[in-house]
Amino acid sequence: MIKIGEQAWSAMVAHAEAKFPNECCGAMIGRIDGNVKDVTLAAPMENAYVGEQGARYELRPEDLLEADKKARAAGLDLIGIFHSHPDCDAYFSKTDLENSCPWYSFVVLSVKNGKFDHANSFLPNAEQTVAEKEELIWPKS
Amino acid sequence: MAKILIPTPLRQFAEKNDSVELAGSTVAEVMTALTAKFPDLRKQLFNDEGKMRSFVNVYLNDEDIRYLKKDATPVAAADTLSIVPSIAGGSPSIAGGR
Repeated sequence: MIKIGEQAWSAMVAHAEAKFPNECCGAMIGRIDGNVKDVTLAAPMENAYVGEQGARYELRPEDLLEADKKARAAGLDLIGIFHSHPDCDAYFSKTDLENSCPWYSFVVLSVKNGKFDHANSFLPNAEQTVAEKEELIWPKS
Repeated sequence: MAKILIPTPLRQFAEKNDSVELAGSTVAEVMTALTAKFPDLRKQLFNDEGKMRSFVNVYLNDEDIRYLKKDATPVAAADTLSIVPSIAGGSPSIAGGR
């Protein structure tokens, strides 16, 4: 289960809505306690995809490395990645799967007409062939 | 001994260490030492053919080894290696990804 705190969730939704109609992306930071991933901070990142960003995103590994360093310095962990699907449901697309990594939770936020609509979290496998849905809890959900 | 930072989700395969110090004069030697010490990490980092998985990047300090000498990049005792994934994706409207 991944549980997102109020501050992190507000930052994720604000980033997703601000970047609409483009996709946004970023990292989720917090702690893992047993089977619960507790996200306390979100690190919005620049979408580095070169080209039309309405249906694509790319994270710079350097940005992830920096986020990991900051998390470590704060005694926290980098535990997930988020991105948005503008005017599209929050499912894990073939493009998402083929460019994923099995180590992290992937939260997808659906933004419709510029406003947050719904979200889901996924856990892709190492072969990038299947992504299981993960229980996601966000404030007021 | 070079230091390798272990990403949080991989620590379960590395006896819960967040970093380890290992001997090796190149990136390849250090990565081999890492998976020898923690065999369960191998499946996470390498595919069945023994090649590093497509989403795995290795950084020497702040430099991507792909832009240095890849696996043959020399490693000094004061260096830090980081394992960083490549991540991208997108919704299907123009990506053709559904």
